[in-house]
Amino acid sequence: MSRFERQRILPGFGREGQEKLSRARVLVVGAGGLGCPALLHLAAAGVGTIGIVDGDSVSKSNLNRQTLYGQKDIGKPKAETAASGLKQKYPDIQFEIFPNYITAENALEIIKAYDLVLDGSDNFGTRYMINDACLLLKKPLIMGAIYQYEGHVAVFNYGKDPINYRDIYPVPPQGNEIPNCSETGVLGVLPGIIGTLQTAEAIKLLSGLGKNLTNKIMFYNLKSCSFYEVEVKPNSASGKDIPENEEAFRKADYNITCGLAENIGWEKALDWSRNLESLMLIDIRKPNEEPHFDLKGIVKIPMDKLAENPGQLETLDTIILFCKSGQRSLRLAEQLKQKFPEKKIFSVEGGIMHSSSPLKTENHGT
Amino acid sequence: MEQFKIKAFGILAEKLPASEFEFPYYEDSEKLVNKLKEKFPELKNLKFSLAVDKQLIQQKHYLNGNEEIALLPPFSGG
Repeated sequence: MSRFERQRILPGFGREGQEKLSRARVLVVGAGGLGCPALLHLAAAGVGTIGIVDGDSVSKSNLNRQTLYGQKDIGKPKAETAASGLKQKYPDIQFEIFPNYITAENALEIIKAYDLVLDGSDNFGTRYMINDACLLLKKPLIMGAIYQYEGHVAVFNYGKDPINYRDIYPVPPQGNEIPNCSETGVLGVLPGIIGTLQTAEAIKLLSGLGKNLTNKIMFYNLKSCSFYEVEVKPNSASGKDIPENEEAFRKADYNITCGLAENIGWEKALDWSRNLESLMLIDIRKPNEEPHFDLKGIVKIPMDKLAENPGQLETLDTIILFCKSGQRSLRLAEQLKQKFPEKKIFSVEGGIMHSSSPLKTENHGT
Repeated sequence: MEQFKIKAFGILAEKLPASEFEFPYYEDSEKLVNKLKEKFPELKNLKFSLAVDKQLIQQKHYLNGNEEIALLPPFSGG
């Protein structure tokens, strides 16, 4: 007997639905609160190939909701840890791992190879980027997002008059408009519900079962246990900020910040680090992360160690963070700024791969 | 005089009197949003969309006062 027997005997799903799932390729962006239940149910249901994109590592505060990880996984990369755990349970499923954050540079190449994308990301920049990429590539996108005790779900780029995220929210929140940049509280079961709803929509879409949540956005409130469905039509004005083609997409700037931390260039960062008192210039990359980069005055503290123990920065006035591309450092700078609003906290734009970084302009440790 | 029934979601519910409240009648959606922002200035710094009787509206929409208005912020968390 196949492990899918109980699905095969389902009226309306059957052997045909199962075969469609086994041939399907689904990409899950973010193996966090939404991604964990999604990955589990996609794999359990028999989706043949599952891609996982996540550049983050497991931290202790993830464990109330990111149910593919346990105590022993703290510090391990999420994409690999999620895939290896699921592979043990379901050896018949293929996992494709992308242990990096999705960016405007890599998004199209990654997404192209899949039939459907499930958005389990945790920030607006990534949400708009995935939306635009899926729109350009005409890939169905199952969006899910949460805030404290509420969440919403929608199916984009699918159906007769398909809608996308920008039909609901045409432009990304900017600066102080960001409703929720901070690490906010969340009851662990909420992303479990929203991620599972997203997965149900994915399975329906792939197998042709039932009716999808197209041209709608559905809000869920955990405290009142209520749903609120809103109909959405395509909006002719929503497209003006969408990159016209793949080339424009790759160059588009999806970095949305809370307006808390600032980007600075290498020149200023190095000048200040030589001349200012009570300043620390910190390489937040993982130990042994390539490329090797050493420079006098640089302190190396990996991102997770800094996030776990920000107290070590207590005595400083100015903190400048850098990583490989400038994305992780900006996010961490935003987090730290919330903890230390009185300190000057910066992220070096473009990180060590930036053309003006000392790694590129001088011969440092390569 | 008609009163709107307004439902607020997410962070908006924290900035308004309740997740459901009544608000005086204005003849179109733009006036209504402006009045809401006037009465509750914290809304000015928040992005949200508006639904009238569970239909998302994308431009100025005339109202008769019997509608249910929903204020829908985007969520980012995952």
